[in-house]
Amino acid sequence: MTEIIRPLTHLVNLKSPLSLSDYISEGGYQGASKAIHEFSPKQVLDLVSDSELKGRGGAGFPTGMKWSCVPMFPDNDETDDDVPEFKYLVANADEMEPGTFKDRYLLEGVPHQLVEAMIIGAYTIAANRGYIFLRGEYHLAAKRLQQAIDEAYQQNWLGNNIQGTKFSFDLYVHTSAGRYICGEETALINALEGRRANPRAKPPFPQMSGLFGKPTVVNNVETLCNLPHILKHGAGWFKALSPDSDAGTKIYAACGRVKSPGLWELPMGTTIREILYQHAGGMADGLKLRGLLPGGASTDFLLPEHLDTPMDFASISKVGSRLGTGGLIVLDDQNCPVAMVLNLLKFFAQESCGFCTPCRDGTPWAVEVLTRIENGKGRKEDLDTLHNLCDFMWLGKTHCALAPGAVEPLKSALRYFIDEFEQHIDNGCCSYQQQGITQQTHVVQPSHGGQFHG
Amino acid sequence: MDDKKGTSSQKVTVYIDDIAYQVNKENNLLAGVLSQKLNLPYFCWHPSMGSVGACRQCAVTQYQDENDTRGRLVMACMTPVSDGMRITLQDKSSAKFREQVIGAMMTNHPHDCPVCAEGGECHLQDMTVMTGHNSRDYQGTKRTFNNQYLGELVGHEMNRCITCYRCSRFYNDYAGGKDFGVYGSKNQVYFGRQKDGTLESEFSGNLVEVCPTGVFTNKLFSAHYTRKWDLQSAPSVCAHCSVGCNTSIGERYGSVRRVMNRYSYDLNGYFLCDRGRYGIGFVNGEQRIKKAKGISQASPEKLTRLDVSKSLAHFRGKRFMGIGSARASLEANFYLKQMVGEENFSAGYNGQQMAVAKAHQQLLNNYFTKDRMLSLREVEQCDFILLIGEDLTKTSPRFALALRQACRNSGIEKAASMGVASWQDSAVRTISGKRNSPFFALHPTATKLDELTEQHLLLEPDDIEKVMLALTNLLGSDVNEKNNEKYEKQLKNYNTEQQLFINKIISELVKAKKPLIVTGDSLLSAKILSATNKLMACLENNPDQKKVNLVVLASASNSIGLLSLIDEKSLSSEQVLAKLSDNTMDGVICLEQELATFTDKELTLLRDNSETIIVLDHSESRVSAIADIVLPAAAVSESNGHFVNYQGRIQRFSQVHAPILPILDSWKWLSYIEKSLEFSTTSQSILRKNKTKIIETLDQLHHHFTENFTSWPVIGNVLLDQNPVARMTPRASGRTSQAANFSVHETKVVQDKDQHYRFSMEGSKPNTVKDMPFTWAPGWNSNQSINHHQVEIQGQLSNYHEDLYLAFQFSNFNHKVEQTSDDTLAGDSPADKKFNYFPQGSLFQGEWQSALTAEFDLLKYSLEKNPTLYLSTEFSESQGWSQGQWLKVTADNMNCIAQLKCDARLPKNLVYGDIYDFINNKSGITVKLSEATEPEVIQQQESRINGYQLAKENQKNILERLKISDQHIPIRFVAGGLDDA
Repeated sequence: MTEIIRPLTHLVNLKSPLSLSDYISEGGYQGASKAIHEFSPKQVLDLVSDSELKGRGGAGFPTGMKWSCVPMFPDNDETDDDVPEFKYLVANADEMEPGTFKDRYLLEGVPHQLVEAMIIGAYTIAANRGYIFLRGEYHLAAKRLQQAIDEAYQQNWLGNNIQGTKFSFDLYVHTSAGRYICGEETALINALEGRRANPRAKPPFPQMSGLFGKPTVVNNVETLCNLPHILKHGAGWFKALSPDSDAGTKIYAACGRVKSPGLWELPMGTTIREILYQHAGGMADGLKLRGLLPGGASTDFLLPEHLDTPMDFASISKVGSRLGTGGLIVLDDQNCPVAMVLNLLKFFAQESCGFCTPCRDGTPWAVEVLTRIENGKGRKEDLDTLHNLCDFMWLGKTHCALAPGAVEPLKSALRYFIDEFEQHIDNGCCSYQQQGITQQTHVVQPSHGGQFHG
Repeated sequence: MDDKKGTSSQKVTVYIDDIAYQVNKENNLLAGVLSQKLNLPYFCWHPSMGSVGACRQCAVTQYQDENDTRGRLVMACMTPVSDGMRITLQDKSSAKFREQVIGAMMTNHPHDCPVCAEGGECHLQDMTVMTGHNSRDYQGTKRTFNNQYLGELVGHEMNRCITCYRCSRFYNDYAGGKDFGVYGSKNQVYFGRQKDGTLESEFSGNLVEVCPTGVFTNKLFSAHYTRKWDLQSAPSVCAHCSVGCNTSIGERYGSVRRVMNRYSYDLNGYFLCDRGRYGIGFVNGEQRIKKAKGISQASPEKLTRLDVSKSLAHFRGKRFMGIGSARASLEANFYLKQMVGEENFSAGYNGQQMAVAKAHQQLLNNYFTKDRMLSLREVEQCDFILLIGEDLTKTSPRFALALRQACRNSGIEKAASMGVASWQDSAVRTISGKRNSPFFALHPTATKLDELTEQHLLLEPDDIEKVMLALTNLLGSDVNEKNNEKYEKQLKNYNTEQQLFINKIISELVKAKKPLIVTGDSLLSAKILSATNKLMACLENNPDQKKVNLVVLASASNSIGLLSLIDEKSLSSEQVLAKLSDNTMDGVICLEQELATFTDKELTLLRDNSETIIVLDHSESRVSAIADIVLPAAAVSESNGHFVNYQGRIQRFSQVHAPILPILDSWKWLSYIEKSLEFSTTSQSILRKNKTKIIETLDQLHHHFTENFTSWPVIGNVLLDQNPVARMTPRASGRTSQAANFSVHETKVVQDKDQHYRFSMEGSKPNTVKDMPFTWAPGWNSNQSINHHQVEIQGQLSNYHEDLYLAFQFSNFNHKVEQTSDDTLAGDSPADKKFNYFPQGSLFQGEWQSALTAEFDLLKYSLEKNPTLYLSTEFSESQGWSQGQWLKVTADNMNCIAQLKCDARLPKNLVYGDIYDFINNKSGITVKLSEATEPEVIQQQESRINGYQLAKENQKNILERLKISDQHIPIRFVAGGLDDA
């Protein structure tokens, strides 16, 4: 057997993804088959826990632990009022973190992998219904996923009594109507229910009361896609894929002004330097590395001095940032850091759901201050205001993690690029020749939908 | 929700800033802290609506143990109370965060305070001061919104919104409204309707009190505005239905300005219905009787007692009957009855209503001599509901709101079994899903509560009775093998739907731990009440059945008080007319009676056969128009008295201000009449013998009654033990200058002879008594200050003393039921398009007094909605009629036009609608249907537009008149009788 060190992506074919039968001949659905025929749900759960698989959606929560909180009813007596009529497994395919496009790659490239993964996951938690909550803009992924699901139904990999077992599982694709906050699992659940996509307070956790008040597990697409391989090759194999503390492989990406932006499946713990210089080809001609966000827009800046940090959860955390989704956003030396932070904060302010005060009113406030600084109308006090806002919107103070995420690039920029801010204020202008990122001066407009009062 | 009297629940120790407090275990931390009367700011939490954790205002620092000095920030409203927990309110980091939250809200909040109606009682103002935020860091512009027209009652100013979500949580989640909601996201969240239009919920007025800022304001109050601190208030009781919600009425410069909710643990809690809140407008209406008619005055300026006694002396020796009223106070009704004698007293009820009254009395006799009817608070704990013959959302709306909460109990229980506290509002609602406690209903029309029912049937009253009897029989029969046949046979008489209904009730009823049956008199059906009696008797006999609670609602504020005065000698209105026509009696004294059930013919008969008609009322009616003597009676805000609610609870309403003479309390007029007319009844001679003093105050009247009549309940006066309470706030302004256009001298404080409250800012603080004129606490200027006057949050008031209840002891008597035309409803004949029409309940036109309010009148002609008739889908199709088509509805000599809507639930003969002309035909009326012609439709539309414009003019005129009258504040020296200045 050829050693596959790129399990997630080795079957990806963006032009024409594998049909069910082709996928099976390449070794697909063997993991699912093993799960439902040879293992009990508890055994699969133990296997996944042993594998030390961690969530790939940005939080890095151990998957086995998340699943273990789902109430299981061994007797499955339907007349018992306590046994819920439905249990749900939801795939979080609402990939909206800026700088992240790995799930799209998997969904468009090898949709059957996700279908197989969900069968395994549903079997483990005894879910009888699954939803793939897909970002609405991913039209191609929607089409290909539905095609894969249809094929699976035809071949009795979905529906009642899958492959002759007692396990039944229905899977649906749900395309979202938009909004970044739907990537938050409880907001996603609310959106699936047809409600406003505000996050929910936890406890109670979704495993106890989730979709329609029933036990629900939400997992990221990439996380799930590891399952068929773990089932096929075992926990030890999975751990051995990476020499690092974290197990398995990870799809890393790089974007910004690098020579070859893209994505690559590499062992967990590959260094930033390797990703940036070996795979992304280094900075584009004439540009130097100034800093980078290691895991998408809502992570803290890292500097060139951190290039040798392994890209795993613990190591990145130690140097003051987060692994997040593992997609590098690279800042070159001819781009204004203030403008970059302003751009990011504008995104977060726009995407705030509006439920809690710090995020709803704090993010636009930060935008207001940063806009003035970028336009050269900043004042010394504004830096204090920004520091206060970073403090105001930190973890524990808000209803969900959007605002703390929004504040991560801001507070790290204030730490590392404070001189840039001060220069803007002192000189009364931005010293960079902007090309592409923020071109025009921004006149602060009243919000869309409102009108000035007479 | 939780039953928190405060003393019986388990307490745990919570350390707040190192001081130990005993806190109720079931509370969240915020409610716990507030129950200790400590100041912790909050917005989105509400005692009745639980916590959501949106505003982040209530953040406190929680420590792990005594050694932890750093702690971590938690939101108090989302944190359960646990034994030994340690928190601080005073540490710098949480205090700074709380201030930052206000600062964030202030980035968009407009500087409207000087022009905002909420100013001076604004929760946002209070919390801003509490957190110490006082300077602005934000340099940017503020987002603005368009406002919407939400109707005549609630104003909309969205710029002020701080996005606390309380409004939509109340309107949609708590009150079940459908036409209001949340739109938008980020810092542009918008609360409003999908498009402009009148808010449809009967509880829309609570948005005004629930909103912590001035987004939703009381339009009636804003139109003729004054600051809260300038209002003179008194505790009152709603005069518009038998629930008896506690209110606080405010006035200034001699005119009533607004009604606010007055917290009552047992009844209305924190919410009122729109009829109670806005129905006070009639007091300022054009139809008020402000002068006496038929009394010759010596001086045109003033009506004196001498004038009255001289004029009335003409009628001395005449034989008078007294017609009492269900909307007049207990004192006035009792006094009238004693004056004219029990054989000459009428309740103003026709034969049908008397039969209903008798059946009602029977129910009270059978089940409520020892027990008490459930209060609204207790109703919210019930887990099974059978609702018979009441459109509660329109007749007793606050009760309907309580039933809505009761329906949630099975869901709340499920959440509790999963470890989710009842105050975790979102989580409980998610877990509850669509689960409702079993709820069944029977009524001739569709109602808003139908959506909560497991099953409901649309049936005429007679058919409702039949279903109830079937239910009773089946409940009473032995449920064992042998009798299954009998069971089946009985059920065969009913259609499948009804069979399912009956069977479901039987199976759910036996499982219920606190079942409730609700009925009332709104269909004027004695049959339904007696069937209820039989049902209750049957349920009592079943040893396996947990106690079934019964609630019987009545239509007016003092229906039960009046009921207690009806006995075998009481006259029906038919008997009154008979006695007049055969000359047994000479005249009638009508106490606050508009005689709604009298046809025009009967009214003419009354006039023709009476020598004298004396009317006491506050507003013009058909009766006052034909009266010989009209005496201006005081409305609820201008007098003192007691109403008895559906439970028999005797509640006092207090005078807010002394009205301009000669407007007087009805009972005061009665005392003048009594003196002048010298009745020759035995009671009268007792009255005359023992009376030495003039009756000037309510207490004196009570004393007089207690001394002479055993049937009068002893209404003690707790308030006399204390110093009188100030009606005005300590900050009332303009006192020295308000009469400056007349005289530079300051007017004297009006003397209140009743000595319960003072017409002044001097006096005891409001929180020294149970019935507070208004609510305030240091640092809490808004209605949230009630937190400081409760033993526990959402618990009983601090100064509570048990209310007095009427003892129900009715003699069993047989009242001769005179058949009325209403009993002869159409038989089985849809062929000639004859139907039994039942009016839907009407919030705004259903009660005579409140319907006189200008805004309610406007809503009558509302151009947003056409008069509608609901007909069975089957029959409509058979006639080739389609939805939206205009039909002509004919009854007696009346022709009305209404738009057709199909209702698949309706049986063959039954139709219902909201046609105004038939609003008083509560027990149904036979109508014929035909297609309306286009000119008829056009004419109807035109007349509605005209009516609307006239009503609008009326509203405007009233407002202008009120503003002018602000310049001529009536000066009274004593709030007493005619001769007191």
